[in-house]
Amino acid sequence: MKLRRAAAALLLAAAGAAQGAPMGFKDSQMAMGDFGPRWREAWVNHAFTARDAIGVGGLTMRSDDDRLSREVAEATYTRLVHRVNLPHAQANAWFVMGLGGIRGNDFGGTRTLLAPGLQLDYETTRVYVAAFARLYRADDLNHDYAALRAGFSFYEVEYEQTQPWLVLEARRMRGLSEQIEWTPMLRFINKSWFVEAGANQDGDARFNFMYIL
Amino acid sequence: MKHTLILLAALLAAGAAQAVTTTKLTVNGMVCAFCAQGIEKKLKAMPATEAVYVNLADKVVAVQAKDGQTLDVDKIRAEVKDAGYDVVKVETVADTVDAMRSAAKAGKQ
Repeated sequence: MKLRRAAAALLLAAAGAAQGAPMGFKDSQMAMGDFGPRWREAWVNHAFTARDAIGVGGLTMRSDDDRLSREVAEATYTRLVHRVNLPHAQANAWFVMGLGGIRGNDFGGTRTLLAPGLQLDYETTRVYVAAFARLYRADDLNHDYAALRAGFSFYEVEYEQTQPWLVLEARRMRGLSEQIEWTPMLRFINKSWFVEAGANQDGDARFNFMYIL
Repeated sequence: MKHTLILLAALLAAGAAQAVTTTKLTVNGMVCAFCAQGIEKKLKAMPATEAVYVNLADKVVAVQAKDGQTLDVDKIRAEVKDAGYDVVKVETVADTVDAMRSAAKAGKQ
């Protein structure tokens, strides 16, 4: 039953991200950042095949009441598990595995962290939905994370032009936040980069970027 | 008469040299510029490539050959497939990619 619930949560979480693909094309390098007052994350990876990438990343998090903090450093492996190409759409299933260390202000030392995750996404040139779930697990720590994203572009653009989107994200991390964080963001995508900026329901600013080389 | 024939031959040769060969592919799943640029980079790096045109809305990837050079169509198809997309149609056309871009823009107006 627990397994079924966990699978359902992962699938639900995966129902959404397309232009937030967690890796680029073969032989490319990708950098990503996600910055807000309570969540700061950055990572880079290298795609050594069209379906596999390895990388490193770091994440710092604070609880809603600012009492708890976490710092994560990890090595990651990302795998495109399945892709469906449709005439005017694409759907993907991604798997990510992180292995690293986690520190906190309520315990001593560094604990080994294992962080498997799954992302499911569907996109067209005008619509985008994604779901992402990740289990941040260490001894006596459970910071499971889930995010749902949905968005649309205001209009079609040429391949070379910058396309504006409106994206809404809902996310939650167990043990650090007891509320679902809702963040509407404006997203601008060009060929090799995208940036997002918005603010959550508490007025906290958020800035994300991705760059592919 | 001899001069006329030489002139005609020269004109024909010049015309042949300027003939454009473009390989046009119809690609399923190519909906995101952030992702599709991998295709563009790989195809631009091919030695016979003069220019590349990508149109997400029309699902088109077109590769124009350099004058006097021949595109490796199988390799083009393979590069697109390796990038994670499905090639559903391959055509050889005589349009430049600039002409295709202009036609697509005109079609939207």
